[in-house]
Amino acid sequence: MHIPLRRIGIYCVAFLFAIVMNFAVPRLMPGSPVDGMIAQLGPRATPAAIEAIKARFGAVEQPIWQQFIDYVWGLARFDLGQSVKYYPQTVTEVLARSTGWTAFLVVTAIIFSLCVGVSLGAVAAWRRGGRFDAFVSPFSVVLIAVPPVIVALATLFTFGVSLRWFPVGYAYDPNLDPGLNFTFFGSVFAHAIMPVLTLSPYLIGEFQTTMRSSMISVLGEDYVTMGRAKGLGETAVMFSYAARNAMLPVLTNLALMLGAVFGGSIVTEIVFNYPGLGLTLFTASVARDYPVIQGQLLLMTLATLGANLLVDMIYGLVDPRIREARA
Amino acid sequence: MNSSLKLFLRQKKAVAGFIIIVALWLMAVMAPVIAPNDPAERVGRSHQPPTVEHYFGTTKMGRDVYSQFVWGARSSLAVGFATGLFITALGTVIGLVSGYFGGRIDATLDLLTNAVLVIPNIPLLILLASFAGTVGPLAIMAIIALTSWPWGARMTRAQTMALRNREFIVAARMVGEPSWRIIFVEILPNLVPLIGINIVGSIIYAIVAQTTLEYLGFGDPLNVTWGTMLYNAQNSSAIIVGAWWDICAPAAGIAIVGLGLALLNFTFDEVANPQLRSGPALSRWLRLNRRRMRELEAAR
Repeated sequence: MHIPLRRIGIYCVAFLFAIVMNFAVPRLMPGSPVDGMIAQLGPRATPAAIEAIKARFGAVEQPIWQQFIDYVWGLARFDLGQSVKYYPQTVTEVLARSTGWTAFLVVTAIIFSLCVGVSLGAVAAWRRGGRFDAFVSPFSVVLIAVPPVIVALATLFTFGVSLRWFPVGYAYDPNLDPGLNFTFFGSVFAHAIMPVLTLSPYLIGEFQTTMRSSMISVLGEDYVTMGRAKGLGETAVMFSYAARNAMLPVLTNLALMLGAVFGGSIVTEIVFNYPGLGLTLFTASVARDYPVIQGQLLLMTLATLGANLLVDMIYGLVDPRIREARA
Repeated sequence: MNSSLKLFLRQKKAVAGFIIIVALWLMAVMAPVIAPNDPAERVGRSHQPPTVEHYFGTTKMGRDVYSQFVWGARSSLAVGFATGLFITALGTVIGLVSGYFGGRIDATLDLLTNAVLVIPNIPLLILLASFAGTVGPLAIMAIIALTSWPWGARMTRAQTMALRNREFIVAARMVGEPSWRIIFVEILPNLVPLIGINIVGSIIYAIVAQTTLEYLGFGDPLNVTWGTMLYNAQNSSAIIVGAWWDICAPAAGIAIVGLGLALLNFTFDEVANPQLRSGPALSRWLRLNRRRMRELEAAR
């Protein structure tokens, strides 16, 4: 698998940037966060834990480069520090508990929106200027402009509180024991419906807009005319000839949007009390649990970079021109 | 001028969006006239539904939701629009410099742009905001602007690179114009449609980010904005007790701004890229086309 070196360079710089932010921000801000954290730990804290917090946030007599090296060395050993709120647990343990739920929500929402948004975009471009296009395309732009907070609150109020169709909190019924049975999966599914529906409008809007504009330029290509000339049906030309190629910009866009999706998932999880990374981040930020907030940023940056790398790889597989050129 | 005004008025979506934005701004500016009460004043009992005295009901604290809505528009719109302009200015300058100079400057700036672009913004915002503690509107503006300029910078860079070797730029260089003059006097005016799209997009983003931060409790709780209204409503569990008016007012405000800006942006996109057009002119053309095809078929 061949990925341009430049891309890798960009990802390294981005990750380094996140690390430097984590390292520098607590040291630059007025007032030290250390005292607050130690006060919050109270009598539970061992001297070793206090020392660790001091070292991590720069309240030690050491040259700054020494501190930075120690910090990076700690990260390399997956040592993200101690959580202040859930004290004896480390940040890694706290994050590990919630990562799965967020990944589940985000991936489900992306797959769902990709199907809906891409089909809507393809059809809108195919019938450009028609009634369908005139309604769906401006509507997609509106969907992008409405913050997830509003969508989440509206969904919660309508379907959760007024109509009582779906459960309003947690990832599954707390009376159930997690296990591999249908009751449990059904419960997980029912609890995921509202969060996924909240995350989707923005994504559908983005996918629809990107797909439509890319499809419009593809429809002018010779191979689409060729497909028609061969006497293929409408659907065959639309999906196998035009849409397949028009998908490529959508993929690029998807990778770049992942950061925004994480932002949306934070709000969604808070509104629906869903035990993912976003809710953890929120409780951490309320409790001023800085190590968890920092770990979160690194994890989400890593996830976004990973997704971008994945898209770079998929791009080569999906686009026959690139695939052939390499073979 | 007259003809471009006519062109604008023919775009129904743009006019609708423009009217929405102007109306909201008027409401914000006229706040002392149309909502003379202090939004922080307790005027009634807790969580009263909408009545004639309190059009939008009252909050948990017994404050008038209508006054809060009108006064909140001031801060929300001002911060959103100012931040949007700031983001655009930053992105445009970086994009112009990067695209015009090329070489090592471009390589560095482009690397930086792409790197900031892939870092998830909201978690970064939350990190900055939580270390800063409760932050005022200015700090929120700065934090949002510093994390979200790359999108505009990338578009501007690509456009600038396309313009850089055009004849009028080469001519300006040969005459000996200084670089800053070429960038800002020769190139910049050609980027106006792009900057328009960039401004509207950035304002939308700024309003979304600002609302999110304030909803999460990072805003100044004493400063009435739509975001802090949502935060207070959420904290007083307005949804669970059925006080929908408490949530609906700020939510509707934000959604309407989003709608207005989206309609404007849709039109800007169509103007800048005629391929994407879908308006009346296009349907007319398509209809003519179809009729001609039918005639051809019939003739055969």
